[in-house]
Amino acid sequence: MNAMTTRAERKQKVVLQSIAFIILGVAFIFLWHTLKNARAPSGQPASEAILRSALPSLFNNLYSVLSISLLAILFGIAFAFYLEEWLPVTNWIRRLIESLVAILTGIPSLAYGILAILIFFSYADTLKEAVEAFPFPENIGTIPAQIETTVFYAEALTFILMVMPLTIKTTQEALRSVATPIREAAYALGASQWQVLTRHVVPIAFIRMLAGGCRAMSRAFATAALLIGIYTGYYTTDAGGMSGRFLLFLGVALVLSVFSSSLTEVYDSDLA
Amino acid sequence: MKNKIEISDLRVHYGDKSALNGISFDVHPNEILGIIGPAQSGKTTLLKVINRTLEFTPEATVQGSVKLDGVAIDTIGDVYELRRRIGMVLPLPVGLPLSIYDNVAFAPRTAGLRAKSELDEIVERCLQQAALWDEVKDRLDTLGTKLSGGQQQRLTIARALSHQPEILCLDEFSIAIDPVTTMRIEEVLKTLQKEMTILLVTNLVQQAKRLATRTAFFLNGDLIEIDATDVIFSDNPSNQATYDYVNGTFG
Repeated sequence: MNAMTTRAERKQKVVLQSIAFIILGVAFIFLWHTLKNARAPSGQPASEAILRSALPSLFNNLYSVLSISLLAILFGIAFAFYLEEWLPVTNWIRRLIESLVAILTGIPSLAYGILAILIFFSYADTLKEAVEAFPFPENIGTIPAQIETTVFYAEALTFILMVMPLTIKTTQEALRSVATPIREAAYALGASQWQVLTRHVVPIAFIRMLAGGCRAMSRAFATAALLIGIYTGYYTTDAGGMSGRFLLFLGVALVLSVFSSSLTEVYDSDLA
Repeated sequence: MKNKIEISDLRVHYGDKSALNGISFDVHPNEILGIIGPAQSGKTTLLKVINRTLEFTPEATVQGSVKLDGVAIDTIGDVYELRRRIGMVLPLPVGLPLSIYDNVAFAPRTAGLRAKSELDEIVERCLQQAALWDEVKDRLDTLGTKLSGGQQQRLTIARALSHQPEILCLDEFSIAIDPVTTMRIEEVLKTLQKEMTILLVTNLVQQAKRLATRTAFFLNGDLIEIDATDVIFSDNPSNQATYDYVNGTFG
């Protein structure tokens, strides 16, 4: 941090940083597996019937949206901790990522849906090949049957791109909301960085982090609902099935969003 | 007599702005050193240098040497150990968002103490020393942040005493505390003086006069004068600015 940082401290910092990196790595590998194994179990291309009914789509499964957003949120939280607690404000990586995050969170979710359709869906086959070329052992686990693989990849990437920046931003804000005097007071009592984080910063910031996660998730569901609307309209004439799922996703998005704002209010009234 | 703290040519800058311009003095063991001076004179910065919490201010740079028991503090490997040797009371009461009990037990716990009976004993002793025990003994499990300003201030004093520091730094400890309670705490400080060295930063010059063995006068980052309290508060301290400040005719 400055001239008065000792060797022992630097050593500890290196260890903590490595741990953060390992966590990030594991989260990334896990995410990659999820993506790679997300295919129809038979390995057959989706039939016409599936295309008409189940395909529209991947989102017939709450599970896929939920798991992908959850992973993206965990990854985002870990990343935000690394940025906020370990990288100095002047670090160029931090600056770069923070500006990227600022750009990505500013994009409305409707634009993400269009982005998904225009860019990712067009290159979905290339994406699929790229993911399958990655040397991982087969069949670690399978995610929902009857998911059209290529579309799933495209959608997953969109979600990650949408959910992660928002999570990073809200987590960073939550961490910053922990007043410096509290940290200083804890440090002045001889607490280590780890003790300050686990006993003071995280407990105080937790509700805000949770609220941020819910907000990000709500955004993902809203976009999913939108895409379901567009895709079912495109592939099927059966509007009944579409509207059910569409409403379900929209409902989940709404509930999460309300939950998120009520959490923030509880926080503000409790500790103000 | 061996000095507890030796400070020589200490310079602190916040970016381009200088906060301490090369100050040197010693602190004797078991004395109460009163530190007085108007705002922006570097009193709080000095305390932050001593327990190395200034390191959390990214733009601050420190030059010069500060020695604790003859050991330069920036060569101490375990900075957490160093901070446990120094009790710090900050001007604004920061109740950690924990129960009253956990607030006081926090430092002993971070040092690895687990036994409930010992912790109970420490909590009671510290709260009594901070003149807070009678008010909170029946509700030790309520949040420390729910206490009134003055009570929180006394809670931070109890917390600072909880790890039995060798040096106690008090930065405006009586700012939110009523005069009667302040007097009680001042009595405690006089007894604590037998066990530890006390640095008392205060805006109340009378408080320094009542308590301090020696008094240092800071002005705009310079140490103007340090001498026995009797001399500083006499009619002829060696510097005119000191006389003006303690007699309230400053500027």
